[in-house]
Amino acid sequence: MKRNFWKKWGILFVLVLLLSACGFSKSSESSSSQSESDRSGKKVLNLSLENDIPDLNQVTTTDGISFDILNNVMEGLYRLDADNNPQPAMAESVDISDDKLTYTFHLRDGIKWSNGEEVTAHDFVFSWLRALHPDTAGSYSFIISDYIKGAEAYANGEATEEEVGIKALNDKTLIVELNDPTPFFLGLTAFATYFPLNEDFINEVGDQFALDHESILYNGPFVLTEYDQAVGVKMEKNEHYWDIENVEVDEISMRVIKEKSTELNLYESGELDRITLSSNDVDEFRDSEEYGTVTEFTSWYLQFNLGKEPFDNFNIRKAFQLAYDPKLLATNVLNNGSEPAYSLLPPGMHGVDGQPFRDLAGEVIEPDFEKAKEYLEKGLEEIGGELPPIELLTADDTVAKDTATFVQSQLKENLGVDVSIVTKPYSGRLDSMREDDYQFVISKWGADYNDAMTYLALWVGEPAIPFRGNYHNPEYMNLVYKAQEEKDEHKRIEMLMEAERILLEEDAVLGPLYYEGSAYLQKSYIKNLVLHPYGARLDLKYVTFDE
Amino acid sequence: MKKFILVRVVNILITLLIIATLTFFLMKTLPGSPFDEEKLADLTEEARMEFLARYGLDEPVHVQYFKYMANLAKGDLGLSYYYKEQPVSSIILERIGPSALIGFQAVVLGLSIGIILGMIAAFRHNTVWDYFTMIIAVLGVSIPNFVLAAFLQFYVGLKMGILPVAYWESYDHSILPTIALTVGVIAQIARFMRNEMLEVLQQDYIMTAQAKGLGDWVVMIRHAIRNALIPIVTILGPIVVSLMTGSLVIESIFSIPGIGSLFVDSIKMNDYTTIMGLTLFYSAFFILAILIVDILYGIIDPRIRVHGKG
Amino acid sequence: MKEQTKQLEEQHEIFPDEMFEIVGRKEDESEKINKPVLSNWQDGWLRLKQNKAAIVSLFVIFIIVFLSFVGPYFNEYSYDQTDYDNVYSEPSKEHWLGTDKFGRDQWTRLWEGTRISLYIAVLAAVLDIMIGITYGAISAWKGGRVDNIMQRIIEVLVGIPNLIIIILLIMWMSPGIMTIMLAMVITGWVNMARLVRGQVFKLKTQEYVLASRALGASTSRIILGHMLPNTFGIIIINLMFTIPSAIFTEAFLSFIGLGLQEPLASLGVLINDGYHAMRNQFYLLAYPAIVIVALMVSFNLLADGLRDAFDPRMRK
Repeated sequence: MKRNFWKKWGILFVLVLLLSACGFSKSSESSSSQSESDRSGKKVLNLSLENDIPDLNQVTTTDGISFDILNNVMEGLYRLDADNNPQPAMAESVDISDDKLTYTFHLRDGIKWSNGEEVTAHDFVFSWLRALHPDTAGSYSFIISDYIKGAEAYANGEATEEEVGIKALNDKTLIVELNDPTPFFLGLTAFATYFPLNEDFINEVGDQFALDHESILYNGPFVLTEYDQAVGVKMEKNEHYWDIENVEVDEISMRVIKEKSTELNLYESGELDRITLSSNDVDEFRDSEEYGTVTEFTSWYLQFNLGKEPFDNFNIRKAFQLAYDPKLLATNVLNNGSEPAYSLLPPGMHGVDGQPFRDLAGEVIEPDFEKAKEYLEKGLEEIGGELPPIELLTADDTVAKDTATFVQSQLKENLGVDVSIVTKPYSGRLDSMREDDYQFVISKWGADYNDAMTYLALWVGEPAIPFRGNYHNPEYMNLVYKAQEEKDEHKRIEMLMEAERILLEEDAVLGPLYYEGSAYLQKSYIKNLVLHPYGARLDLKYVTFDE
Repeated sequence: MKKFILVRVVNILITLLIIATLTFFLMKTLPGSPFDEEKLADLTEEARMEFLARYGLDEPVHVQYFKYMANLAKGDLGLSYYYKEQPVSSIILERIGPSALIGFQAVVLGLSIGIILGMIAAFRHNTVWDYFTMIIAVLGVSIPNFVLAAFLQFYVGLKMGILPVAYWESYDHSILPTIALTVGVIAQIARFMRNEMLEVLQQDYIMTAQAKGLGDWVVMIRHAIRNALIPIVTILGPIVVSLMTGSLVIESIFSIPGIGSLFVDSIKMNDYTTIMGLTLFYSAFFILAILIVDILYGIIDPRIRVHGKG
Repeated sequence: MKEQTKQLEEQHEIFPDEMFEIVGRKEDESEKINKPVLSNWQDGWLRLKQNKAAIVSLFVIFIIVFLSFVGPYFNEYSYDQTDYDNVYSEPSKEHWLGTDKFGRDQWTRLWEGTRISLYIAVLAAVLDIMIGITYGAISAWKGGRVDNIMQRIIEVLVGIPNLIIIILLIMWMSPGIMTIMLAMVITGWVNMARLVRGQVFKLKTQEYVLASRALGASTSRIILGHMLPNTFGIIIINLMFTIPSAIFTEAFLSFIGLGLQEPLASLGVLINDGYHAMRNQFYLLAYPAIVIVALMVSFNLLADGLRDAFDPRMRK
């Protein structure tokens, strides 16, 4: 009996040991040979990804991480350069008709898929139609259907392929017809949803498309050699890429690392070449030559709900809008490279004639605590003397929570108003906003393309939706609609500037907070690593190594 | 014995069914859908429903439930919404390895060290040994494991450079995470072991054994440990499960592609099929752990015999 | 032998017979118990007082609890008072324990947080124990079918990962102290119930229980008089683990972003903030950590003392 007892324990022990050994052997295969490749003189770039990779299917994917990867292994008709201007890529040139509604793209010679086949105009037609078709489309289909003629009807299943304004004249010529003159359309063609797809290949892999690195056909500067959603990706230079002589990096590794402190430790141990810093660590490295900051076209703002008390009152909205100092928030609290916001549209966003929108329009809101108090008093009189309990809705990530705490403390200090914070997970926040279950909320919008319209079209309010604060102002709506059809770019921008002013100053629908930025460390021998402020952000094609 | 096992298997299936049902309906009350994002916010309600319809998410919840159950009966856990088009079962299988290894090492290490510490403490009751062991045990449960993990990573990984800072590439990469996870287990086991040993050492049969003239260690090993193991076995089940979920923090600090992080992500992303798959996986695992505990009870303590009736 | 008699004789000389007097037998007094009758609790208290470690721990706990109520009033700051000109200032005369990223005074926040953490932990632990003991005792005592059904219920409850329940509750109710506590209680009592059940099962077959039953003791008497005191040790130890685990669960919730609402503080929130800043603002992590460790060590030593004092099996 006694012997039996110990024997049973022993057997159990060995069994479990074996089981777990199996579990490990699989993942140990992908062991990196980083030091070896260094020795062989290859130029290797080690980067990190802040979360798992959800989906590398360019048609359905929606998240920044996947876009960052796709942008380096695929290429559209145009590619953004270091200054965010679209430069010919798969296309060699384009002819734009006088009414600015027809684009004729001429494809470059010698562009190839990673299996050696030619990239043709048909690949673009196939891909774009696939991105629109109700059976295959993802949530980014709007980025095509909003602009191309007949695309929306096709996406709704109300039109045939022939009625869509995407045609391949021959293998080398692609003709695209637009609904409205769209000055930023070339930039759009650099976006992931506009990348081409090879029809034969897609039919061959079927359901397995983009599930591993072998089930994608590449036409960008790099190809994937390893892909594990939870671990990361490895890339290699694409030998079929048309511009290969201008690509310096040989290999890239991008690993999923969710903790900022881990990233920093890996950077210091030399296993990463570039990381983003958490605000706690910024001060330590601020003077280092490896330190830098970048901002994105992502604006954070308070969205007031005009359908809920007390924000149905203009004066109360105005009081809240003026009662905090975005500069304090950006420099003292966030301290991560973010810039204080006094308007909706981020600085650097394209305006007209190479002049940024922000420079033309100036700042719209100027915080003023005295004025805020006056507005509050006026508002209180109008609503009968007392504020109802007020809740500020926010998502549960650190930055959103810190922002909420900041707003709360400022409202208390500058207005004497008590606000409680309601934190919800990301989708919970969106759900509350959609269900009209909030008073005011900390929200954000990242630009899809380099034009004011990406922001201002959101509040058109036809119909008014809770998500956009139930805002509806015919004057604003007409301005935006007119700007959409306007062919004169100067007039167009002026209308949009006026629209932004109405939205913020006259109607106080939003309270600007900050433009998202990040602080980073980057090894000093790495140059020309480009981070676009919107869309598919990361561009490794231009990276060079300083010996 | 055969009947006993049969009854237990039926019981397990019923339990799993109830868990699956509860989780399914609870999960569906979570606000939002797997496709929530700012970019979809401006869709009209119709367009949204149309989009959801493509995934069968527009149907009444009970219809979705029966469909899911029918698939489950066929062994199909469905496709993930977040990791688009990937079967949930293969996602779980891919991620289970690292978590299982770290968890298993932590349990084995924690169990052995904890039991030894507990024995020393009980055997040298009220001596320096006792206090020393218990202080270790108390510190073990007082320091959050993410703090410990961060310390280990910074000092052992980065400053001393003995072990890898992060990643999951070789056996060495599993050492620091295991240590970070083990400390809590050691502490819990050591305390329980000490308590039980103290009690057992006062039992009549121990005195009888000592009176027979058996040496201290013989008494300890043959009689005392075996009786003291009973409560250890009871808390082992929960410890194992909490290790698997608790390893989330460790996994994200050491950048390990495990199952803990998957679980929290799937809840936050409303990834229904993955939540269900993982819940069922954890539940089955835990129920099995309880079953093994019950059987071990019978083996370790001759006074308790499991019968079909319970 | 000779020597002994000699000794006796000598003694006799020192204490001659005249010094003694016959008082006779007092029948009624011979059965009297002279030591005052002590209740179980008084007895336990006497024992506890002899345990230095336990008394010191009790003292430490008392001081921490005292500070958690009074500490915030030692300086002029309030726990949610921000000062954006003084973010991340090191401990100094103005701010004894420094300030956090909002320039809030850490001394005030530390004690405010300690109080909230203790409140959550103690309440959760007490509820856990009450539900757990009742459930476990009934399950084991009744045995058979009742036990079977109750165990299945436990399996179901345990099988549903806590996180789902906690997140659901936080979605349903406004996130806050009560929500977190409730979420912990709903999932927390199961472990206690299982432990108590195991223990009662073991005790059921003990001779003294059998004897007591043979003497006609009622079920409630057996449970309250014999079973409970004998499970006391295991309950207290588990309680001492429930308190830190409640504090840690709360810290974990902070870690995944579902903890208390700002600007409220708790030890979990503070440690989590400190963890993010530990590289450059170590003091933000150090002080809350010291308080947590002090609390845990004290609770544990006190628990040991209590068990030694009250557990009948530990009496010597």
